[in-house]
Amino acid sequence: MTLTICSLILALAASASAQTAMWGGSPGRNQVSDEQNLPTTWDVETGTNVKWSATLGSQTYAGPLIAGDKIFVGTNNQAERDPNHKGDRGVVMAFSLEDGAFLWQIAHPKLPAGRVNDWPQQGVCSTPYVEGDRLYYVSNRAEVVCLDTEGFRDGENDGPIADETATAPTNADLIWKFDMIAELDVFPHNLATSSPIGVDGRLFALTSNGVDEGHIHIPAPFAPSFIALDLQTGDLLWDSDLPGDQILHGQWANPAYGEAGGRKQVIFPGGDGWVYSLAPDTGELIWKFDCNPKDSVWELGGRGTRNNLVSTPVFHDGIVYLGVGQDPEHGEGEGHLWAIDASGTGDITETGAIWHFGDKNYNRTISTVAIADGLLYAADLSGFVYCLDAKTGTHHWTHDTFAAIWGSPFVADGKVYIGDEDGDVDVLKASKTLELLHETNLGSAVYTTPVARDGVLYIASRNTLFAIAEESQ
Amino acid sequence: MSNLRQQLPCAFLSLLLAASSAYPADWPSWRGPAQNGVSEETGLVASWSPIWHADFTGRSTPIVLDGRVFVIGRRGEGIEHEGVVAAFDAQDGTLIWEHAYNIFHTTIPFNRVGWASLAGDPETGYIYAHTVSGLFLCFDRDGKVVWSRSLTEEFGRISGYGGRVHTPVVDEDLVIISYLSSNWGSHTPGRHRYFAFDKRSGELVWIATPGGRPLDTTYSVPVVATINGVRLLIGGNADGSIYAIKIRTGESVWGFKLSRRGINSSVVVAGDKVYAAHGEENLDNTALGRVVCIDATGNEVWRYDGVFAGYTSPIVHDGRLYIIDNSANIHALDAETGQVHWIHNIGTVGKGSPVLADGRLYAPEVNGRFAIVAPGSDAAETLDLAEITMPDGRPAELFGSPAVAYGRIYLSTEAGVYCLGNPAAQFNVATTAANYPREQASPDATPAHLQIIPAEVVAQPGARVPFRARAFDAQGRLIGPIDAEWSLTGPVGQLDGNTLVLADAPSGGKIVASAGELTAEVRIAVLPPPTYSENFEGFTVDASPAWIGTGTKFKVRQIEGNKVLVKPPAARGLHRANTYLGAPAMTGYTIQADLLGTKKRRAVPDMGLIANRYTLDMMGYHQQLQIRTWAAELRMAKTVPFAWETGVWYTMKMQVEIEGDTAHIRGKVWPRDEPEPATWTIQAVDPLPNRSGSPGLYGYSPAEIYYDNLKVW
Repeated sequence: MTLTICSLILALAASASAQTAMWGGSPGRNQVSDEQNLPTTWDVETGTNVKWSATLGSQTYAGPLIAGDKIFVGTNNQAERDPNHKGDRGVVMAFSLEDGAFLWQIAHPKLPAGRVNDWPQQGVCSTPYVEGDRLYYVSNRAEVVCLDTEGFRDGENDGPIADETATAPTNADLIWKFDMIAELDVFPHNLATSSPIGVDGRLFALTSNGVDEGHIHIPAPFAPSFIALDLQTGDLLWDSDLPGDQILHGQWANPAYGEAGGRKQVIFPGGDGWVYSLAPDTGELIWKFDCNPKDSVWELGGRGTRNNLVSTPVFHDGIVYLGVGQDPEHGEGEGHLWAIDASGTGDITETGAIWHFGDKNYNRTISTVAIADGLLYAADLSGFVYCLDAKTGTHHWTHDTFAAIWGSPFVADGKVYIGDEDGDVDVLKASKTLELLHETNLGSAVYTTPVARDGVLYIASRNTLFAIAEESQ
Repeated sequence: MSNLRQQLPCAFLSLLLAASSAYPADWPSWRGPAQNGVSEETGLVASWSPIWHADFTGRSTPIVLDGRVFVIGRRGEGIEHEGVVAAFDAQDGTLIWEHAYNIFHTTIPFNRVGWASLAGDPETGYIYAHTVSGLFLCFDRDGKVVWSRSLTEEFGRISGYGGRVHTPVVDEDLVIISYLSSNWGSHTPGRHRYFAFDKRSGELVWIATPGGRPLDTTYSVPVVATINGVRLLIGGNADGSIYAIKIRTGESVWGFKLSRRGINSSVVVAGDKVYAAHGEENLDNTALGRVVCIDATGNEVWRYDGVFAGYTSPIVHDGRLYIIDNSANIHALDAETGQVHWIHNIGTVGKGSPVLADGRLYAPEVNGRFAIVAPGSDAAETLDLAEITMPDGRPAELFGSPAVAYGRIYLSTEAGVYCLGNPAAQFNVATTAANYPREQASPDATPAHLQIIPAEVVAQPGARVPFRARAFDAQGRLIGPIDAEWSLTGPVGQLDGNTLVLADAPSGGKIVASAGELTAEVRIAVLPPPTYSENFEGFTVDASPAWIGTGTKFKVRQIEGNKVLVKPPAARGLHRANTYLGAPAMTGYTIQADLLGTKKRRAVPDMGLIANRYTLDMMGYHQQLQIRTWAAELRMAKTVPFAWETGVWYTMKMQVEIEGDTAHIRGKVWPRDEPEPATWTIQAVDPLPNRSGSPGLYGYSPAEIYYDNLKVW
């Protein structure tokens, strides 16, 4: 009995102090770090300031994510590190943070329906959420997956899933899985991509439910779009069928979390262009906001003025910041960036906007903003980076990278880091005045957002993960 | 020369430019007369200088033939959304004719209509169009339809939904089109197949299936080249390879596996080298994309890695290769070695291909940018960067490539067709003679290949189909007609000499010809007759009818002592399928069938009938009944609430009546055990009527669908 209580207390203590890691650093998703002494210049061709590099697949959209002494990336299987997994797979790889040594990976086969549910060669696009020694993400098969961060390197097969056949030290140790297709009849459009977050024992994710290959018909309008699972068990706690049959295309955004108006809220960008605030414990609607002008028009194939939400919201100081966009395949177009007062309730489309930046000044985006020292940095698919006042939306500057931007600005050490499709990483001064400190090319497109730890910057190009630090070589 | 020009007074300059237009010529196909994106014309403008602009909404490359500019695109608002082919006067942009066509049986959205360019034949003056619905149309220069085929309803063409549709290629007596198809019998597996038609008659001459399982829907346009004395068609395939096939016979010569995804970019041939590119996964490393030089035997000479040039076609000229990547960077490589000389950015998205003419690159970018670039040895300079906009100020989409003819540049964009040039220069139409070798083998050459024409038969019972056999030598040259022995497989009919009289009952089989050591065979589909009833009791279990597009997607099964046609959930790929069971020219008929939808967990199917290219759909999840013709663009669709249960047989009935310029589409659904209701359950009206079309069945089957007691009359 005493022993049991002791273990319980220990377990509680462990859980209370469990380290968390997620895309954006915190549940508010603001990609700002207080890291210092980060590099400004490097050159991957000569190796200058490159501490190490590691081979990924050929397309990388998830991570990098630093958790403990490891760094995780979601990629495809073009590297074929596991001889038992040939061909197209969705892959999560774990590397040693210190030296980039490959530790373990999981490889998910593709869904049999093909591209309409699981687009070829896109890999795992969900950046994991890590809490303690558990790692959570959404696979290309639309499963919410919980893994042991140690894989089988710890020699233990943690369960409930304990029937893994591949148990070498380089294999992943599955804890549980929640199959959103089998359990919820979700029809993910093109790919399930949501990067989950965990708060207070709950894991929040989008299901990526969407249209079928005809792009009008929603095969599963009654399947939920937003869900909460129990972090420990993977049991479904609640689901929300918002936006139901109003989804325009796919749903590839990520949830964010914060507090405003005395209420804890989880923010879900909907596939109908509305952003929804739901109660974390029940899934009930707190407020909703239409991010498109009322006279906007959705057109198949991308030419319309009504947009989706592909970006991740940032919840910062009671304000939700979010830009609109579309599948990059639909091309460039008019965009809108909103600062929304999150203290309201109900439909706050008419009342909730603190400021709006858009019309002809801002284009479709799939990037997430970063806010530091009262300045907001935003990027759009047309390749522009903007600096605005976070409270007023006043425009300070625009910088043209001359290539499409899919990733998001990362702010640390007085600098803004942003990668583009040409593989360039621009280092800008985090300031009201535009100053390009450095531009360097990673040799392959950058579709991800950099992260940092202990003076080292980590950036994933489409096929390589780099650790960059001053005077590394 | 360029320095001298700058010093000359303008008027004199104009004269000089006019006089220097040494090679005014047609631009009969999307990459020009030499199929390489190079024009020999001079005196072209070095800045954005429209002479005329014509209202049109285009997404592909114009062709210019015999004084006319031909384009394919889209037009209309709302219910009148349609595709259109148009001809303009090349000199002044006057509209000469337009031919609108309906869009049906496709999930391609409106704004991607007309992505495949037209092809022209300098010999006949004919223009060929491949529409998103799979109509393959041959026009004369005045817009009269010479012949047409319905590739979807005759050969099981699959449209895909991305809008990437192939552009035709004309050579000698053939026009060749390719597409993904999944049909019946041996053509059940979905493949990227090439179909060669007689360019004058539309008769099918050969079908080639060089590749394996398709990985994408693609739009690589093949080129024609004679290499080592063999006339070849060389193009990128949806299975990720480049294939060279003998153009007169469809026989494979070599294949080169390039990517783990389908090939969209088109190859270019210079001498005996083939240059290909792609922007997706390589086979052997984690770099994305590659430009590769392939020799005459299909082996790699050099590679340039990590460039994702996934859509555009390269240019090879004067030892340099130019290609635009997906991010609109022009890469200049050494054509001998693949070494990069410079990279020059013109925008953010590259899909159209550049043209090299008069020492400049004319390069389109998707977001309305049109760059005129001077390619230097170590760097390039943008001479002019125009931004084409829509009336509301946003950039106009520019997916096509320029055409250069008669000293001018022609461009088809979302904002219209533009003609760029010097208005003071004299305008001369100088047609380009067709350069078709048509070399023949000597009559006593050894036959190496036997060809049967037509290469596939899709016809109704009782039709008489005469066949003929031709022999080719090992180089793919025609020897001439050859006497063959004919035999039949399957109950497809009776032979009367070399003429097949099709049987009275529908079936699938083949005709086999043999001449000496050579044999060849042709697939025969005897379609159901115009008046037809089928209760499936005569089928063996697990058999599939030889209807168009049926494959093994629909199978006969025994359910409670009764044979029915079942559409099970797809083990791979999509649950959605159409099957066609009559000639595309059929009209004025009624189709009726019994249907039952099952339930699998929460999944329920959508199911229905097809008549005149309209679909009557009982939607399970939505509990609605819908009439539509174009799933991605419900332009004339009518939807009504309709509650129905799984596990219950319903009878569906559908008819289409054409009255003048309007189609009235009517549908009725009732529980099979109840009497037929007097009134129609749903009716729709289409001001752009589909005047004919094959009857068929529709199914979207996450859970099984049963069909029985099918009738057409």
